[in-house]
Amino acid sequence: MQTSNLIVRKRIITLFLLFAVGFFGLGFRIFWVQFVRGTELSEKAMQNRMRDVPVESKRGIIFDRNGQELAISISSDSIYAIPAEVLASGQAEVIAQKLADVLDMDQAALLERISKQSSFEWVKRQVDPDKSAAIRDMDLPGIDMTEESRRYYPKGTLASHVLGIAGMDNTGLEGIDYYYNDLVGGTPGRIVIEHDAANRPIPEATHKYIAPVDGANLILTIDETIQYITERELDKVFTERQAKAAAAIVMDPATGEILALANRPTFDPNNFGDYPDKNRRNWCISDVYEPGSTMKITTAAMALEENIVDENTKFYCPGYIKVGKETIGCPDRKAHGDQTFAEIVENSCNVGFVQVGLELGLSRYFNYVEKFGFGKVTGIDLPGEAAGILVNKTNAKQIDLATMAMGQANAVTPLQLITAVAAVANNGMKMQPHLVKQVVNNEGEIIKENQPVMVQQVVSENTADRLCLILEGEVINGTGKNAYLEGYRCAGKTGTAQKISPTGGYMANEYVGSFVGFAPANDPRLVCLVAVDAPQGYPYYGGWVAAPAFREIMRDSLRYLEEPMSETKNSDNQSDVEKTEQVIAPDVVNLPLAEAISTVKDRGLEVKVSGTGNIVWQQTPVAGSKINKGSQVIIKMSPFDEENNTGEVTVPDLQGKSMKEVASILAELGLHLIPDGSGLAYEQLPEAGKVISAGSSLKVKFQPIGE
Amino acid sequence: MNLKRLKFIDKPFIVTLLIILAFGIIIQSSASSGISSDSLYYVKKQLFMLAVGLIGVIIIIRYDFTEFKNFGILLYILSVVLLIAVLVFGTELRGTTGWISLGPLPAIQPAEFTKVMLILAFADFVNRRRGELDTLIKMLPCFLYMGLPFILIMMQPDLGTALVYIAITVIMMFAAGANIRVLLALVGGGIFLAGLILFLHFNLGIAIPLEDYQLKRLIVFLDPYNDGQGGRGAGWNTIQSLVAIGSGGFTGKGLHNGTQVQLNFLPEHHTDFIYAVIGEELGFIGAAFLIILYGILIMRSLYIASESREFFGTLVVIGVTAMWLFHIFENIGMSIGLMPITGIPLPFISYGGSSMITNLLAVALILNVNIRGKKIVF
Repeated sequence: MQTSNLIVRKRIITLFLLFAVGFFGLGFRIFWVQFVRGTELSEKAMQNRMRDVPVESKRGIIFDRNGQELAISISSDSIYAIPAEVLASGQAEVIAQKLADVLDMDQAALLERISKQSSFEWVKRQVDPDKSAAIRDMDLPGIDMTEESRRYYPKGTLASHVLGIAGMDNTGLEGIDYYYNDLVGGTPGRIVIEHDAANRPIPEATHKYIAPVDGANLILTIDETIQYITERELDKVFTERQAKAAAAIVMDPATGEILALANRPTFDPNNFGDYPDKNRRNWCISDVYEPGSTMKITTAAMALEENIVDENTKFYCPGYIKVGKETIGCPDRKAHGDQTFAEIVENSCNVGFVQVGLELGLSRYFNYVEKFGFGKVTGIDLPGEAAGILVNKTNAKQIDLATMAMGQANAVTPLQLITAVAAVANNGMKMQPHLVKQVVNNEGEIIKENQPVMVQQVVSENTADRLCLILEGEVINGTGKNAYLEGYRCAGKTGTAQKISPTGGYMANEYVGSFVGFAPANDPRLVCLVAVDAPQGYPYYGGWVAAPAFREIMRDSLRYLEEPMSETKNSDNQSDVEKTEQVIAPDVVNLPLAEAISTVKDRGLEVKVSGTGNIVWQQTPVAGSKINKGSQVIIKMSPFDEENNTGEVTVPDLQGKSMKEVASILAELGLHLIPDGSGLAYEQLPEAGKVISAGSSLKVKFQPIGE
Repeated sequence: MNLKRLKFIDKPFIVTLLIILAFGIIIQSSASSGISSDSLYYVKKQLFMLAVGLIGVIIIIRYDFTEFKNFGILLYILSVVLLIAVLVFGTELRGTTGWISLGPLPAIQPAEFTKVMLILAFADFVNRRRGELDTLIKMLPCFLYMGLPFILIMMQPDLGTALVYIAITVIMMFAAGANIRVLLALVGGGIFLAGLILFLHFNLGIAIPLEDYQLKRLIVFLDPYNDGQGGRGAGWNTIQSLVAIGSGGFTGKGLHNGTQVQLNFLPEHHTDFIYAVIGEELGFIGAAFLIILYGILIMRSLYIASESREFFGTLVVIGVTAMWLFHIFENIGMSIGLMPITGIPLPFISYGGSSMITNLLAVALILNVNIRGKKIVF
């Protein structure tokens, strides 16, 4: 027993040692797992149980330059289900039925979704408030909601091509909303849901809500009112002329700020899916066209800058010119005869411009074309800008130069053209066009500000000033007569371009009629371009299609901006040469008496008032006539006396007035207008001078001005 | 019973055991809180079993342990009958027919109770052959004696418990002075053979009468992500257990705050993987503390074994110690990726009535040896 006892003792001690080693081994392994691999395994524990559900941030508001809301975010509730909780309640079917009733959804499909093996399911996103309130009241187990915001463009189609669109997932897809998505989109938040091993969210666990950071607000350079005016006029010309497309831009030449930018056809960004895709094309910046005669402004600027011509350089137009084997003609081969340079601009004489272009030569021409910014993007803050297509510089021939000089051959975007013309209006300094003035974050801090960027001095100030006067003459005497603005000195250029056929060559019957110009000519406040693609009917000329729209946009916009009216200056360049004793009769019709008298007297003319009333309704001689300084202008006052409530008015003489003017005069008198035709008034019923009761109607016939 | 003998009771052993039991109840209150709607349901049941077991301890302690050696063959026969009965009448749970229902009473796991009975029976069997276990031939009856219940348990099949029997058999024979070379050769050969069979099966497609999922569980702990399902299959338990313990850090996440546990990433967290709960919620401090407690318990048991007046008593205590040790090493080992997943409970900690009562009966045996086996007499 003793010996074996010894063995047993030895063996027990051996066991003791073996076991001790075993325990140390375990301890070391635990140490290893918890300390050496601790971080890695902790992370794994975290990944195991956290699932994220994104919560959209609220997009920033897009304001116009005066703080009008153009795009906002409206919050609506999105309803989601936590299927595990739905199933746990044991009333999945009841819940599905109740939801289906309120949300008008298919009950079977809904039941399937809310009882899915999933941690999170949307029931319906962005639900109407009354419906979400109804569901909230039901307090269904496993059904919850979160606030999601959705882009809403309260003004509908207004400025749609500028604002763009934002999709269901709250990201900008087009326009400003796309270009500035990083700033305006904000940072999405999350609902972090802790899950168990079966992927069920833990009912009591923190459904942690990490709030999204709302997007910054944008303040555009767009002026809602000017945009509205622009779109109204664009709509008018687009529908009246049944055009394929139309585009208009209004820009501040001094800063490059775009005040309005519109295209037709258009779309409502709230329901963009309801419109054909082509309606979303932003011709102003994305599509190119051959601008035609409007491009002659740049050719003229080059010629003046390079001293090839001055205002009075003589040209002769036999109606056509031969360039190599080709012949280029003025419209209908009509000879313009002897002209000064100013006159070839006014007449938009192709022959004259071909001569100027050939004189310039290819290298100088291309040099300036590039300086004006053609062939490359302007860098406006909108997506999808086209660079335009220039004739290949290395292969260009004389005929190319000739056609480029008159505005064909090169394809440009409307934005490029208006930017170039704005440079002329801005003393030759080209500004970078832009749409966003400021980006303001939620705390009201300005986080980005787009200061006007001077790109390049394209031509000298002197050249620009001289060209402005020539272009003013174009409006007064030339093809741009329809752009003539009462009360403002206006400069501009018409354009009627042939369209490139997809099959090559030019299309026989499709034109782009356009007008680009600015006012006031001596100190331009606004530059505006109107282009109408394929207007139906005759005349299709830019002077007839686009110029009236330009005029309406400019006049209403300048008045809205309270730009002081100036005397209508009748081509200084010509009157300089003529006798200085002659002055031009100002337009005082419809002005208040005191203002009319001072306007007339400012010109060095005498006034004779006849009749009673507050408003001038007729003047002799008519505005624009040249009369000797010191002669008398007779102004007849409106017989309508506002204090005299007899309700009777004398019918004014509306001869030669535009529809808009007629409408405003009649509105002043309390009369209704029944218009007939378009253009200027030439016949009216009842006739002028008759006394009728206020509130009656006046039939006025309009006809286009003959060329 | 002579209550005076109680003064010989091994105080470190008792204190350590009571701390482990308290520790078990505390961790159970967190681990099982999310399983039933009554968060203390399992704790209450466990406390009830604990009370039953303690009563059992008090009853058994009254009788002299030497009485048991006369019932050795009886206990053996009873054990074998129980193990056969469970195969015939038992109910299957998770692929194992280990449970037997006794009318309104809670279902029991006979293989748990038979551990204690067979320790006694085998102690008697070995005691009679003391000093003669020096050749393979002389050792063979021992292997056959324990081989029958081993095979019956393997038929359930319950590999984990069956392995406990091997551990008990080998360690008791070792303590009894059996030939070390034979024991080492048998254990080594067994492990080699098992490995060879597994290798042949998985690499050469040799058929063996075990389900693939059971076999996979045996080897997947070596590389749990390579379970054919990217860690979502057989490797899942090992991965989640490691993640639980690893993410616990030094002080743990706090009771009830273990995400792996409370969110059910960790399976069987109130039974087989309770050690991972300790590791996650109480951290290294809790996990190491428990190992130290177990260490003390085992070492005190060995001390009690060495102090026993009768060799039978020594063998019984060694058997119990071997049983606990294997449970502890295997259970903790599988929680920390050292051992295959076999699903045997952690003594005094894992939830389970049969296991708790068995372990307390084992405590009763040790105490019995302890208070009566003192050689120094009065």
